[in-house]
Amino acid sequence: MTRAVVLVFLVVTSTAQAQSGWKVSFGVSGGPEIARWRFGTTRERVSGLVLGGEAVAARGHLVARLRYGQGRVTNDTAGRDVAEGEALLGYKARPWLTVWVGPHARTFVVPGQSDRRWLFWSGRVSARGTLFPGRVESFVDLWQGVTGSLNRPAESASGGGAEAGLVVRLARHPVWGRLAYRIEQGRATAVGRRETVEAVTLTVGFDR
Amino acid sequence: MTRALGLCFMLLAGAAAAPRPAAAQAAAPVLAQGVRAYDDLDLDGAAGLIRRALSMQGTGALTPAEGDRALMYLAATELLRDHADSARAVARRLIVANPRFRPDELVFPPQVLTFYEGVRRATPAVIGRAPADTAIRPGTEALTVRLYASTFHDVTATLARDDGRVLRTLYSGPVGDSLDLHWNGLDSSGTAPPPNGRYAITVTSLDRQRRAVRILRVPLEVTQGRVDTLPHPAPPADSLLLPERQPMGPGLRAFAPAALAGVAIVVLPGVVANGEDASGARFVVGGTVTVAGLVAFFSHHPGRSIPANAAHNRTLRDAWRREDADVARRNAERARGMLGIRAGTPVLLTPEAP
Repeated sequence: MTRAVVLVFLVVTSTAQAQSGWKVSFGVSGGPEIARWRFGTTRERVSGLVLGGEAVAARGHLVARLRYGQGRVTNDTAGRDVAEGEALLGYKARPWLTVWVGPHARTFVVPGQSDRRWLFWSGRVSARGTLFPGRVESFVDLWQGVTGSLNRPAESASGGGAEAGLVVRLARHPVWGRLAYRIEQGRATAVGRRETVEAVTLTVGFDR
Repeated sequence: MTRALGLCFMLLAGAAAAPRPAAAQAAAPVLAQGVRAYDDLDLDGAAGLIRRALSMQGTGALTPAEGDRALMYLAATELLRDHADSARAVARRLIVANPRFRPDELVFPPQVLTFYEGVRRATPAVIGRAPADTAIRPGTEALTVRLYASTFHDVTATLARDDGRVLRTLYSGPVGDSLDLHWNGLDSSGTAPPPNGRYAITVTSLDRQRRAVRILRVPLEVTQGRVDTLPHPAPPADSLLLPERQPMGPGLRAFAPAALAGVAIVVLPGVVANGEDASGARFVVGGTVTVAGLVAFFSHHPGRSIPANAAHNRTLRDAWRREDADVARRNAERARGMLGIRAGTPVLLTPEAP
């Protein structure tokens, strides 16, 4: 599914580039990520580095955003790969406020086992504030899963998250950087599973 | 017979009731007779005729000029009759009535001229002439009273209330032939005209011992006119003034988003992932955002003065103050208004015989 979303987004952004009025930006990101599972009385904590990328296309009030990240998180006894991504469609209600909807997914891959994937269709609100006009902005994103599911064990899930940080743009250059802190939690209450992910992400991007 | 008597009675009654123009001009012919008697050296007759002419009152009385001439002839007559005291009294009366009078050197002998000059020098007196009805703007214009002196002497001129209290001293010093007294219409404070009422300009003639020998009193009636004042200009509107110090607002507006983001980073883990112990990594990001906000806040230099704006505002305020002061000054002038002054007939008083 993630590949399909990426493909669709790339088509959209490449089409957008061909038309005037679209603003497109790309970025690569990386940073430490900590994941905690709680399943009954069992608790587990893993951490590792996750690298990723993102693309954003905007025209007028409409915005589309795609993020994808992949890495490996481990602890002393176990390790697993993680892949996560989101594909959001947003509307700029105000210059500083954007409302988003779209899928948000995270998959943990454990060798010898089937993948465990969280999938949420989420509603999200992003607010931005200017510290230095055109140079530095702060932002806060809040999202809440409207519907969600966990594939193993197959259960419905709920969840939400937040992200906040700082965006810095270079003067006279289309390059920007972002430092963000992100925390998300998915809950499958029927089976008593709760999964929390924290990440500090440094992103470097450019606008076209 | 009876009809003839009645006719005669009516003629006599009509003659008695008819106006007698000759009586109205009686003093002048009598004076002329006296002058002829003087010329004929009939000094006793001349003295009698001239005194008779001077004593006549009413419409047939002598004009001021004729009166001066009559007094001069009478003084000369009395002098030639060896009545020096009487001559001196008559001459003094003439001098007091008209200090500017000078006897005709072609008419009177040197003996008389010398005598008159001696009396004149020994008789300090002034008369004054003021406009009967005038209006002045207090402080900028003035009422002028012209004084004519009989001889060089010291005078003191004051403006006094009707009850005698002195309001202002207008002049104190010597007077020669003439002197202009000026009153600018202001009271003793020099800032406002006196209230409506009766006043008097009093000129006191002093002898060499600085005793008051004569007092000329010119009565005045003062009336203030109605006052219309100009409105004061409004101070510069706030919209025209520029901030003299860097306001806090822009700095706070720059800091607020960072503060909110910083607080969100610290607080939201507890909301989103209740029950989990969030890592300390979030403080790194939260601290970075907050520090960036502080830098943004201080980059606006809140509270720092803006000299250019202060100079601009000072120029506006100074202009307003000048205009306001100008209006205040003009209003003060208007508040003084036009002062109506009506001068009465001067009166000359002699406290004691010199």
